[in-house]
Amino acid sequence: MIATKLIKQGFIICALFLAACAANVTVENPTIPKPHIDSLPMVVALRIPGEFHNFVHEENVLGKESWTINLGSANALFFEQLFGFMFDDVIILGPDDNALEHTFDALVEPEIEGFEFSVPNQSKTDAFAVWIRYRIEVYDSAGNSASAWTVSAYGKSQKEGLGGSRSLQRAAVLAMRDAAALILLQMNKATKIASLDGAPIKLTRDDPSTIVEVDVETLQNSPVGIFAIGGIDDEFK
Amino acid sequence: MSSNKPLTVFLAITLALTMSGCISARIEDAREETTGLNANESVVVMAKSYHQGNETEAKYISCVESALGRGKGALRVIPTQQFIDNLFPWFEPRTAPADTKGLTTLMSKPGVPGAVKDMGVRYIIWLDGDTDRVTQGGSLSCAAGPGGGGCFGFAWWQDDADYEASIWDLQDAEASGTVTADYSGTSFLPALVIPIPLIARTRAKACNGLANQLKLFIVSDEAV
Repeated sequence: MIATKLIKQGFIICALFLAACAANVTVENPTIPKPHIDSLPMVVALRIPGEFHNFVHEENVLGKESWTINLGSANALFFEQLFGFMFDDVIILGPDDNALEHTFDALVEPEIEGFEFSVPNQSKTDAFAVWIRYRIEVYDSAGNSASAWTVSAYGKSQKEGLGGSRSLQRAAVLAMRDAAALILLQMNKATKIASLDGAPIKLTRDDPSTIVEVDVETLQNSPVGIFAIGGIDDEFK
Repeated sequence: MSSNKPLTVFLAITLALTMSGCISARIEDAREETTGLNANESVVVMAKSYHQGNETEAKYISCVESALGRGKGALRVIPTQQFIDNLFPWFEPRTAPADTKGLTTLMSKPGVPGAVKDMGVRYIIWLDGDTDRVTQGGSLSCAAGPGGGGCFGFAWWQDDADYEASIWDLQDAEASGTVTADYSGTSFLPALVIPIPLIARTRAKACNGLANQLKLFIVSDEAV
């Protein structure tokens, strides 16, 4: 009887210790303020991939703690809202929807190419940092690949309180806002999406020369003063 | 004898609360343009971008914001997040202008001058800098047992708070000047059974010092 009680107590103590070493952070759908930019007068189809509705990333700090960040459907809402501000008309497509059933000027397919974060124990600073790398594929109205653009976004928030969950949450929201700012100001320059307005590109999809690969570093001489930042790979080499 | 005990405890607590560590302070300003603030105009406090390596603490920014808006010569302060949201995406860490040249370009963007005018923002105060623990020493140990507990020893540490505020005039799209605050504070923690913390609130003092000087700088009609 006493042994059972001791085992139960031992389990409770172990569970408490384990709980103390793991943190779960949920990012509740962040909203983007209405931007001061002119929207492009075109119809854009936005294909939201399945992972944008249930994105979860886990980071284990070796021998110390485990952090899990759950973005839920924040990415889906984020892109829907962002493109709603950027273009006059946006058609939202699911991962399995047939785009050819709709009429549009351009089809955009974003995906998360990389997601990383660092906690104060790793970076030896007082800050949480989040890196998100989105890859944005642009197709014309006929389905030809027009361009591909990699957006590296970064958010940083200083540790507040004991756990730091709110700080990590804020860093993730800042990274998404960073991506939003970059996409709003640079997407047309990087992908030339406005040129697809009512006119499919001439070259075929099989021709690799149709794909224009642009990375953010090539845009750092922009007159709006965009800071080019190191990507995920640069930070974790 | 026992009737004096509450008085002793009260005196000990009062002494601990009123005594603090030593702080040395230096505040300087450098004026580039004449300033002034009308009754309907306001200021906004921003941190320089972390993309430029700035580490200014969020608590320090909210402290300066709060200190500017209260007390003698209080200014109208627009909350930072409200300003950033109303001008999205132009004051995000990546896109905020790094100098007044960028400010001129920004003020020509559609909708930006109108949003600034609607909020009545005349000056942006850009904060840069942080508070660091530069040195520490001593030792302190505490023990507790069934009969009670206590501490013995002496510890001390020194914090340096170095901040710079750059003031930009949005009306003329030019830099008005800078105010710098360098504070150094040493805290002591002697313990003879009971630890008596003599804390130097370096960052808080640097916040109030900088805010008071900023108030004087902005409302002053001193010519260059």
